Amino acid sequence: MTARRIGWLLAAVLLPLVLASLLWDPAMLMAVARRDPALARTIMLELRLPRTTLALLIGGSLGLGGAAMQGLLRNPLASPDVLGPSTGASLGAVVAGYFLGGGVFAVAIGGMAGALLALALLLALAGRAAGTATLVLAGVAISALGGALVNLALSLAPSPYALYDVMFWLLGSLADRSLPQLAVAAPLIIAGGALLLAQRHRLDTLALGEDVAASLGVAIQRLRWTVVIATGIMVGAGVAVAGSIGFIGLVVPHLVRPLVGNRPGAALVPAGLAGAALLLAADMAVRLPVNGQELKLGVLTALLGAPFFLWLVVRSR
Amino acid sequence: MALLLTAAPVAASPVRVASLNLCSDELALRLAAPGQLVSVSRLGADPYESLFAAKAKGLATNTGRVTDVITLAPDLVLTSRGDPNAAAVARRLGITTVEIIEPRTFADVRANIRRVAAALGRRPAGEALVAEMNAALAPATRLRPVLMVSGGGLTIAPDGLAAAWLAHAGLAQQRVPRGQINLERLLANPPQILLLTRYRAQQVSTNQRWLDHPAFAALPATTRRITTDGRAWTCLGPVLASEIVRLRRVVGP
Repeated sequence: MTARRIGWLLAAVLLPLVLASLLWDPAMLMAVARRDPALARTIMLELRLPRTTLALLIGGSLGLGGAAMQGLLRNPLASPDVLGPSTGASLGAVVAGYFLGGGVFAVAIGGMAGALLALALLLALAGRAAGTATLVLAGVAISALGGALVNLALSLAPSPYALYDVMFWLLGSLADRSLPQLAVAAPLIIAGGALLLAQRHRLDTLALGEDVAASLGVAIQRLRWTVVIATGIMVGAGVAVAGSIGFIGLVVPHLVRPLVGNRPGAALVPAGLAGAALLLAADMAVRLPVNGQELKLGVLTALLGAPFFLWLVVRSR
Repeated sequence: MALLLTAAPVAASPVRVASLNLCSDELALRLAAPGQLVSVSRLGADPYESLFAAKAKGLATNTGRVTDVITLAPDLVLTSRGDPNAAAVARRLGITTVEIIEPRTFADVRANIRRVAAALGRRPAGEALVAEMNAALAPATRLRPVLMVSGGGLTIAPDGLAAAWLAHAGLAQQRVPRGQINLERLLANPPQILLLTRYRAQQVSTNQRWLDHPAFAALPATTRRITTDGRAWTCLGPVLASEIVRLRRVVGP
């Protein structure tokens, strides 16, 4: 199967998911539209549209970022949402929003700075083409440290209310997002995504080994920094509005890579589409009340992703 | 427990009283004689948390632990039954200790007032506060449906004490499945009256930001919006009486 055909296939899955997310609970929507069309329009425009679009963009960015990182590091366990960058973004966003009093845009800047810092730390600790054990150890340490610092920062925040936000920043949610948040996150995620996609041929070449890729004219150092910065921008902007959502970036590339002949560059587009589909589906699943509560997105993605992680471990033994 | 219930009448009035809990702070700041109170909790002295913070000026603050106040040599410790450890430590140190309970009914609120007043040797002040509270609890002429909601969409239970207070302002809390509402459900069924709790509005939190979502602007003109001070609602004690009187005036007959 070619990447293009897989792309079409996934896009065909995506469209029904988008419609389902926008038209969720149609009976309620119809009832409101009959009573007060303006109100129904507000629900669609101010609530459903940002929620659905953010699910698409953030899910896509996680899939894409995971595939790019796995390609770059040539390591199947690399991903922004498990190895620290997402937690780093949460920390950056928390510092910017709660202590520096920033608005949506400043929080996004903080998120990106945090993600980039965590990524840089991960690469510095794990080094180039690090062994799986080193990379995972470094990632787990960064992730744990980031989570602890988020907790600490929110404990120190002026409002005691802020401590309730630990759940949001570490597990993520798309409930009641707004258009201004979409307006800030979308351009950043799209720009980061485009930058990553532009690297897909170089990533394919890199799969042949650094020496071969260098002899074929790929500037390895530049490629590495481009992937890191693009991933940091995407992940940081997404986390700043939706919290850190785990496991999508880890799982999705594995689902699509066998279908594209294990070429990391060719896996980028399908991974982005599959990530978008997965997060959209997860965001609809959390809207089904479980014992009265709307689950946090990260709970669901971890429930799906962690067993997959285990399966990867078992298979690699 | 038996000790606590019989400990209320003390021979001589205590002269160095330490309160370890926001809700006992509220009662102590209101009922104690000048100079009787030596310490209140950090929250009781925080103007963001307590309507009585100004009265706590100059008092030592504590973090709710007996160790914070032990150097002040208190002869009475006030705390809440929600923190049994603090009470146990204070008793083991031989300090008279009175715990207020988390009120579920107006009778509980009155019992808390009387318990603290008796321990302070200030029974008349306690009876005056009970009378003040009773005056605010006049029956409302009619009940209008209301949705009382705070940041993040958290609502109050329609059968709880907060709703019982609201009823005396002429407002009947709507039942919200699971106690939390999202914006979509709020917009789909706009309430007649939306009572928004403002609490630490100046400080950033996800819950607080929820109240500023642009979609609120789309609520129809038929929905009346009223705000209430969240600080009054934390303990559901007699502090709430004046806020209920104010709300009754705002809502109208």
